[in-house]
Amino acid sequence: MMRVVTRRLVGWTGSTALLGAALLAVQPSTRLAAQDVSSFTERLAALTAVSGSEQALTDSLLAWLPGSARDRFGNVTLALGKGEPKRLASCAVDEVGYIVGTITDDGYIRLRRVPGALPQPLFDQQMLEGQRVTVMGDAGPVPGVVAVRSTHLTRFRGAAAAAEPPFTVDDAWLDVGATSRADVARLGIHVLSAVARLKRPLRYGDGELAAPFAGSRATCAALLAAALGKPAVRGTVVVAFTVQSSYAQTGLKAVRALQGPFAEELAPSVPSQFRFTPVETVSLAAADSVRRAIVQWIGGGK
Amino acid sequence: MVGAAALLTVYPSTRLPAQDSTRIQEVQSVLSSLIESYGVSGMETPVRATVLKLLPAWAKAETDTAGNVWVRVGQGDPVVVFVAHMDEIGYRVDSILDDGSLRITNQGGFFQSLFEAEPALVHTPKGDVPGIFLPRDTGATRHNPPPLRVSVGTTSRPATLARGVSVGSTITMPKQFTRLAGTRATGRAMDDRVGDAAQILALRHLDRSKLKHQVIFVFSTREEIGLEGARAAATALGTTPRRVHAIDTFVSADSPLELQTFATAKIGDGPVARALDNSSVTPQAYVDSLAQVARARGLPLQIGTTNGGNDGSTFTPFGAVDVAMGWPLRYSHSPAEVIDLRDVAALADLVQAIAEIW
Repeated sequence: MMRVVTRRLVGWTGSTALLGAALLAVQPSTRLAAQDVSSFTERLAALTAVSGSEQALTDSLLAWLPGSARDRFGNVTLALGKGEPKRLASCAVDEVGYIVGTITDDGYIRLRRVPGALPQPLFDQQMLEGQRVTVMGDAGPVPGVVAVRSTHLTRFRGAAAAAEPPFTVDDAWLDVGATSRADVARLGIHVLSAVARLKRPLRYGDGELAAPFAGSRATCAALLAAALGKPAVRGTVVVAFTVQSSYAQTGLKAVRALQGPFAEELAPSVPSQFRFTPVETVSLAAADSVRRAIVQWIGGGK
Repeated sequence: MVGAAALLTVYPSTRLPAQDSTRIQEVQSVLSSLIESYGVSGMETPVRATVLKLLPAWAKAETDTAGNVWVRVGQGDPVVVFVAHMDEIGYRVDSILDDGSLRITNQGGFFQSLFEAEPALVHTPKGDVPGIFLPRDTGATRHNPPPLRVSVGTTSRPATLARGVSVGSTITMPKQFTRLAGTRATGRAMDDRVGDAAQILALRHLDRSKLKHQVIFVFSTREEIGLEGARAAATALGTTPRRVHAIDTFVSADSPLELQTFATAKIGDGPVARALDNSSVTPQAYVDSLAQVARARGLPLQIGTTNGGNDGSTFTPFGAVDVAMGWPLRYSHSPAEVIDLRDVAALADLVQAIAEIW
């Protein structure tokens, strides 16, 4: 499914025209391109890009997309074609995640959620409690786990434990195996280090992929594969992988300010199931359909 | 207090994997193979294969009708038994629904919320089939979600059956042994692959010329669903064993989430005499003797009490004394169990010492 969010026609004095028509026409695609989308979806879904800490993922995009550049805000962009009209196709690379809030004397790490609001009531519980996480340390990723009560020591306390409210980030004690604050520092971890659920994308069923934020990653994979496919371009199309979408689309607004105005904008979207869970699921075939539709839009098709 | 903990070994607080001693490297090599084998209670075949592969070449292992692996060493009385279980918590397929999803039942006790919305592996004779533990549609309780179901990405019962999934198939989630800072490590099913690793390491280093009596090492099945494999072994041995040493988890309260009323043995401070749990009590004189053995070999030993049952308790009705031992484990029965590899090494050394000198 694809959504054309905004189209501003240069010279119009009227208000923005919203084009809601889905781009359903499908061009023949090569097997290679389909593989690209699947492969990029899996690779992007394995990366961590907590809002404000997207560099590991955007570094990969820069490596995969020749000619692309990082702007002062951290967005990765690439201009295709030349001349008018100037249009924008974008996807958001960032995710809801966590950063180190404080470190205790005995080496535990406490967290805050980024940006702040729970995207679904069980988000923290399913992403964190008793699960593996990765801390983005200065010297590279550091594995850790989030503490959970031992079953054996809880079971015998009676029914009270069963009535507990859902786990939230405020209940999280992150254990990286350290025994002191100094141990944690030696691992390159400090206040503000990004923390995310360990990413291990899982393919299952008939071409489905499950991973945290699989929908947005599949969308970016489709945009990436479309840009790499050297599509025919009508005018200029700026392809943008934007950061900090969780903060009122700050990255996207920066692209508009730095490279706009744009006559038309495209915000593709690969549909997903079980959104904001560790097993958010996308169809890789659907992701490739979106890639084909993006290619058509870049060429000027509706 | 009998046998105060003899903490005779001083460990550095933080060490990178690259600085591991050869001993820690050996422990990791054995343990990681065991952790990355799957074996829900009643379906321990992959773990049994790993155990058999890791045993020393001289060991003449036998597998009994309950699936337990036996290794007998030495001759004569008093017969001493070590027992560590091979199985892990997980699920079994109860039924396959019309929409292709799986209705499942837990095997062993754990917080089912820890499996909800997680990747799944359905273990079948044709191989592992990937899927997901479906997130709940409604509700927001902590540890007691509605009954979990698994999807393997199919939409009909025949399609699920075509993938080799059947009623009785076991289900886990993918797991991996991972090093943390220093000598700490995480992985699911440390309970009781650490016990298996300790027994294997003890056998590898055992000086058989020192044995003055027969020692039997049992790698048992179906502990998590009621000590069933050990019970079969105990019944087979009857009144023959003098002592039994269950080598199993010491569920530790060494965590900011636990009450500090008992089970406070710290990870990294050495193995633990599991002197009292929900299934057995070790006579004080035997705890004393265990502490003496540890002291004689310069090994650390903590003494404590924790919750849970142990395989050794199935031998006590036949007159054997259960001197259960373990290592401290954080976050038991979760995907994030944490241990210290030095504790595993010391536990293996203690098992070897008991076989050789007690």
